[in-house]
Amino acid sequence: MKTKTYARFVKRWEEVTDLPPQTLGPLTRPYKKLTKRLKVMPWPWLVGISLIGVIGLYMILGSAITFLVTLLQRGF
Amino acid sequence: MDRVDQILVSGVAFGKNSLGLILRPYETYRRIVDRGSVVELLPIGLLLAGYFALASLVKEDTLRPFLLTRQFMVLVGTAGVSFFLVSATLWTVGTIVGGKGTFSRFVLAWGYTMLPTIAWFLMTSILYLILPPPRTTRTLGVAFSMLYLVISATILFWKILLGYLSLRFGLRLDLGKIVVVAIVAAPIFALYSFAMYKLGVFKVPFL
Repeated sequence: MKTKTYARFVKRWEEVTDLPPQTLGPLTRPYKKLTKRLKVMPWPWLVGISLIGVIGLYMILGSAITFLVTLLQRGF
Repeated sequence: MDRVDQILVSGVAFGKNSLGLILRPYETYRRIVDRGSVVELLPIGLLLAGYFALASLVKEDTLRPFLLTRQFMVLVGTAGVSFFLVSATLWTVGTIVGGKGTFSRFVLAWGYTMLPTIAWFLMTSILYLILPPPRTTRTLGVAFSMLYLVISATILFWKILLGYLSLRFGLRLDLGKIVVVAIVAAPIFALYSFAMYKLGVFKVPFL
């Protein structure tokens, strides 16, 4: 029995199965956990990682970080 | 559907996809590659032209009609060449490692990765007017510098995410092959970016 719902389901199924799932052997599970966070509303994670990176940069460069920003601001 | 209808529909699709790239990038890229139209590159091109017009106005201190300035024409021309060079390089390397898909779909997918690029350059241009460099080493200078770097890094990660998704959906590549494509293409882009820097066109790569 072919209903509109079934036709939509088949279309969506073909859409999803068209691309083979990503596998990384033993790392597949942690990879799936990480990408789950990035597929929908990734911003909290992107901002969090950026913040950690910038704090690390500040700990390495100190106030010389302002020189890097001066260069970037002139970069457009 | 006539040309005007096609352009209007693509404009609406562009708006919907742009919002989707912020909220649900994975599904949006699947939709872009499966159902998108290359006419959607038109709003992206208009956004780029708008940004270059603003950048030319900021960089050049004259009252000439800025659309006719050398600065604007150089920026538009070089950005166009860069875009197609990057798309063609990624497409070529991607198909060599076993990628499948059509070039037009891949160009559309890569075109949407220009949104983070435009966002960063626009932010930097506006800040150049509001808070021109140099930054000082006082507390406020360091605080602003850290805030600017957090925003810049976030936009950069967003760009990397969209780049990954365009290779994943546009060329049907898996993570390993995407890494191989990135490693092969990176020196080519680095060389091109260095050439643009030496010519004084783009100090920061406009990729």
